[in-house]
Parts: sequence; C-alpha cells; structure tokens
Amino acid sequence: MKEQEILKRLSDAVLQFDSEAAADAARASVAAKMNPVRAIEEGLAVGLRVIGDKFEAGELWLPHLILGAEAMEAAIKVLEEHMPRGALESTSRGTVVIGTVEGDIHDLGLRIVASMLRANGFKVYDLGCNARSLDLIQKAKEVDADIIAASSLMTTTMPFMRDLVEALESAGLRDRFKVLVGGGPVSKEWAKAIGADGYGKDASEAVKAAKQLVQKE
Amino acid sequence: MTAPSLWEVLDRACNTGKVVAAKDFDMKVFSVASRLVKEHGIRYDPETPVSTDDGLADDAWRAGLELFTEVGAYCMNSGRVIGFDESEVKEGFKELRGEAVVGEGAERRVLRLRDVDDGSPPSIVCGGVIESNFPEGELFVKLYQSIAQEPTIDGFYVGPPLQSSEGRLVRSGTPLETHLGTSMVSWVREATRRAGRPGMHFISACTSAIANVAACDSAEGLRRSDGIVSTIMPELKTDYENLNKVVYSHDYGCVKHVYNGGMIGGWAGGPEGALIVSIANAVMAVMVYRIGVGSSYNALGYLRASTPNYSAFVTRPCVWGSSIGSQALSRNTKIVNTVVAMTNAGPGTEMQLQEIVAALCASMPCGREGLSQGVRRFKVKPLLGSGLENRFWGEVGYAMSRVKRDFANHLAEEMLSRYEHRVTRDSDGGPEGHTFDEIYDLATLKPRKQFQELYDGVKRELEDMGLEF
Repeated sequence: MKEQEILKRLSDAVLQFDSEAAADAARASVAAKMNPVRAIEEGLAVGLRVIGDKFEAGELWLPHLILGAEAMEAAIKVLEEHMPRGALESTSRGTVVIGTVEGDIHDLGLRIVASMLRANGFKVYDLGCNARSLDLIQKAKEVDADIIAASSLMTTTMPFMRDLVEALESAGLRDRFKVLVGGGPVSKEWAKAIGADGYGKDASEAVKAAKQLVQKE
Repeated sequence: MTAPSLWEVLDRACNTGKVVAAKDFDMKVFSVASRLVKEHGIRYDPETPVSTDDGLADDAWRAGLELFTEVGAYCMNSGRVIGFDESEVKEGFKELRGEAVVGEGAERRVLRLRDVDDGSPPSIVCGGVIESNFPEGELFVKLYQSIAQEPTIDGFYVGPPLQSSEGRLVRSGTPLETHLGTSMVSWVREATRRAGRPGMHFISACTSAIANVAACDSAEGLRRSDGIVSTIMPELKTDYENLNKVVYSHDYGCVKHVYNGGMIGGWAGGPEGALIVSIANAVMAVMVYRIGVGSSYNALGYLRASTPNYSAFVTRPCVWGSSIGSQALSRNTKIVNTVVAMTNAGPGTEMQLQEIVAALCASMPCGREGLSQGVRRFKVKPLLGSGLENRFWGEVGYAMSRVKRDFANHLAEEMLSRYEHRVTRDSDGGPEGHTFDEIYDLATLKPRKQFQELYDGVKRELEDMGLEF
C-alpha cells in the first residue's frame, strides 16, 4: 500500500472515531516500514486537527474530540512498539498537567480545554476536578511537564489558583513550570494579579496561550 | 409499588450502585443521547426560537425520559451509577403534587402548575444577584432592599457566597464560608424588614452543605418556608455535597430547590442533545433529589452554550431548547418548574433587558410556573446587580405570562436579531454594564434618571410591539 493511502487511512480512522480502524492502519504503516513519526504527524494528527476545527466551528462537540483522541491513542500504542526511543516525545508540542482547582467540581470546561490541547499536539495529563495544588505540582514533576493548567468556575475557588503559584514559589519550582489559568469567573487581570504566565478566556485562547508559553521556553 | 425512598436512593449513590469511570458515564450519555435524538427526529430549527410544536415537545419529553431511564445518574464521589427501572420512574412521578408553598404571612406564596399558552400570572417571581461580588454588610443589605421593595418580586436567590467573611478571603467549603452563609441570611432578613416584607422567602445557594445548614433558624435564619439550592451537575451528575443539601432539606423540612439545565456543546452534544439531557436532568431531580416529597420546586436552568468561542446563555439555540424543554415538562409532568436566566450583558444596558425578554419568551408562554434566581451577567465583575433589572424581570414575567407562543416567537426573534451579533469572544459576551452604586442613588434607593429612562424606553418599545404591561 502506498504511503499516501496509509496516511489517509490513519487520518480517516481518527475522523470516524474508529479506534480499531486506527490501530489497523497503524499496523499497515508498520508493515510498510513507514516512519512512525510521519504516521503520527501527517496521518493521525491531521484527522484530530480537522475534528478540532469542526469543534471550533460548532459542527462537532466535546465527546467527538475525546473519541478522536482515543482513536489516535489506539494507533500510537501500535506505533510506539516500533519507534526509536525518544521519537514519540519529538511529536509532542509540549506536556501539560491540567485540573480544576481544589473545592471545584466543574469539569466540563476542563475536559474541553484538555481535548483541544490534545488535538493541537500537546501531551495532556488530566487530574480532573477538585485537584489540589500539591497534586498538580507532583504530577508535573513526575512527567516533566512544561505547563500546569488550572481552571475554576467559582469565585470562591479562584484563590486556590494563587495557592498553586505560591506553592511553586515556595518549592523553588516557579521557573520550571509555566502556569496557565482560565474558567468562567477568571479574568486576564486575575491571572496577572496572581502571577500566572498565561490566561485563556476559552478553550481556543487556552490553546493559543499554551503554544505561546512553550515557544517562549 | 412505591418509588424508591430517599434512603434507598442514597444507598445506591453511596453503597450499591454500579461503579463506573466518570468518562465512561459521560460517553454513555453522549451515545444514548445521540441515538435518541435521531430516533425521535429532534432537529434544531434556528428559524423558530420559540417552538409552537406540541408534538416536538412531547417527542423531546419521551427522549429525555428514556435517556434518564437508560443512563441513570452518577455520583462523582463514589463513582456509582444511581439507576432506576421504568416502573420506579413511573412511581416517582406519581408523587408530584404540582404545588409548593413558600414564604410566610403576607408573603406566603403557593406555586401552582401552569399550562402552555396558559395566560395566568406566574405563581412566583424570585429576584437576586448571582455571582457578582458585593462587600459584606450594609451595601449587600441595600442591594437586597432595592430588590425587596419591588412589588412584583416574591423572593430571592441568595448566593453563591460573597468573596469575604469578616474581611477575610472566602474559599469554597471552608469555615469562613460556613460563617458567611449565616451572615448573608441575616443581611437578607434585614433587607426584607427594611422593605416592610419580613415574610419573604429566599433560597440559599452556598456551595458547601454545611454553610446552608448553619444558616437554618426558624426565626431569624433560613426558615422552613425558605429553601436550599441543590444542583445537578452537567450532565446527570451529583456529589455528596449536593446530596447532603438534599438530605438536610428533607430532614429539616425546608424547600428543596433544584437547579439543573443542559449544556450545548457538552456531554450531550449540540442543541438537540442538550435539550433532551435538560429534560433528563429534571427527571433526575424527581428521582434522586426527590422533589415530589415535601414542598419543593425545580429550576430548569436556561440551556447554556459552551463552545471554544464563547460560553453564553440567551443565544438562539439556548432559547430554542429552553422553549421546548419548558413545554415538554409542562405538558407531561407535574413538576413545578421555574426559569433561571443568565445574561451575557451586564445591568444598566439595553442588551441585558433585551436578553431578559428573549429568555422569558421561552418560559412563560411555554408553561413555566414562575421565575427564580433573577439575572446575572455571566462574566463576573464586582457590584454588578441592582433592583432595576429585577423589576424588569418581574414586570416582563407578568406581561409574558399573558401572551401565546406564536407572539413570543415573533418577539424573541426581534430581540435576538438586536443583540445576538454582540455575543462574541471579543466582546466577552456583551457589554459589562454598570455597578449598583452607578445605577442607584444609595441614599434614596431609587434608580438614577439615565437608567430609569433606558428602562422606560425599552418598555415603551415593547408596548409598541404589542406586549401589554
């Protein structure tokens, strides 16, 4: 099978949210001795980007983003076994640890941002809602993250974002991780006031801010 | 056969429900909702913001009921599914009495069912200022006094908590919030006394259960004729904090006020999925929060749009879904159902008043029993709220209760055409609006001239369009 055909199969499988087809296409790319990094970047990621664009246009929804990312993951699992050490990392734009802050159980916006980051090439570790600052930091250390992203949907949980920045400072880790914040009541002014590095008014802006933050490094 | 008791429901939530990962539950909501939208032929129609199609409302009702019966509810703490079979759901709905009683003395109100195109007045109009932070004490009292002095307002929504307690920063779930819950209730009581209406009812919406519990006092605090807000999280989810509020409301004997809605762009997908999940959430209020037991009422929140570009409320798909959701519940259940609307524009702006009209077009002629929670601007800034937009909320609520759906559709279209292009990312949803002290003369507690003129101008224009006040 020609490489172009395999790349299309990889992209289409993601677009059709079909994990089995994605894994099959990945096996075909291995059999054809295709460079796995190319299979990801020019096949799987293309499909996920189209889903991300359609999501932004209001044509697809959050669950589609998740299903597309799952199909991509299924294919990457196959490709990983055939990749040189460290090659997978080279396909990632950066690593993000994300969570809704302590005391806040709103997770919908968080999932949208996490999915959009994945669709844009970030490796994302999602700690879900009610995530303590220390847990976010611990995970960021563990996976050597570039960014810690925190969301809040309530004015009374926003102070926990400040805690996150202060905890990084007192642990001597402030320069190691960028901090990105967002959520319903959160504003650019608040982000600045607590010393965060970036702010996203919505998922698209969060992705844009994350890209800028990893570029600055 | 009877419906499962509250204790049985809690047993399922805490001990016996099937354990599943949250993501698997969310994705099941999506797959079942998508299938049911197709099976019932539900399609978003942007040309008709307020539907007049009874068949569509009934289809949406059946789809929502089937969604809940198939998926159940999810407890986020235990990871357990709170499931019910069809016969249990049927029994649960038999418990609904279609009535709720709130307030005391001259301010006692009986909430009764209204039909679609009913023509009768709303059985309750609650005001309030949601989210925007105010300083503790006197200014907060004055804010609520400015609302309590409005004759069309019957009660309040109080919460979420302010950002300070005794001058200290408040964090959700902490002891300072517990103290603040009690303080806020005492300030609201003072406001009602100053307005000469001490029996007015309110619903308390502190985020932690203990803050609401601490505020309960049959004389000066949260009385049994008041209520505690329990929320259903998107979609079909609860947690121990909300279940604690439900249990305490049940044991104390106060009103259970359940807030729920549906999220466009969330776990149920687009406008059609959000519509049926909003109905499923209302079914959950009956089965899990047991609003059929005691004196309780439901607030079917306005559908909310959550997309990468904006998070907004009274947009065209939100109005469409809310109009059908209102009709579905009115035509098929005895749920006492009030409307909540959150505006994109802030107080003291023409756009906010237009949004209120659009929101009520999809509510009062569509069979909702009343109005609760007032309005708020979604993007929160301090001091954004006043009695004036609450007055409009009440006056338009009464006026809209007398019109039929076809007129409401025409009016909603007119309002949407004026502001929907302004709900953008760049505008942060719409104009921020004005603060309480800008809108009101705090010495007299009367609106300042420019805001009163704006109000009168919008009202006159609505009269010219055929709305009778």
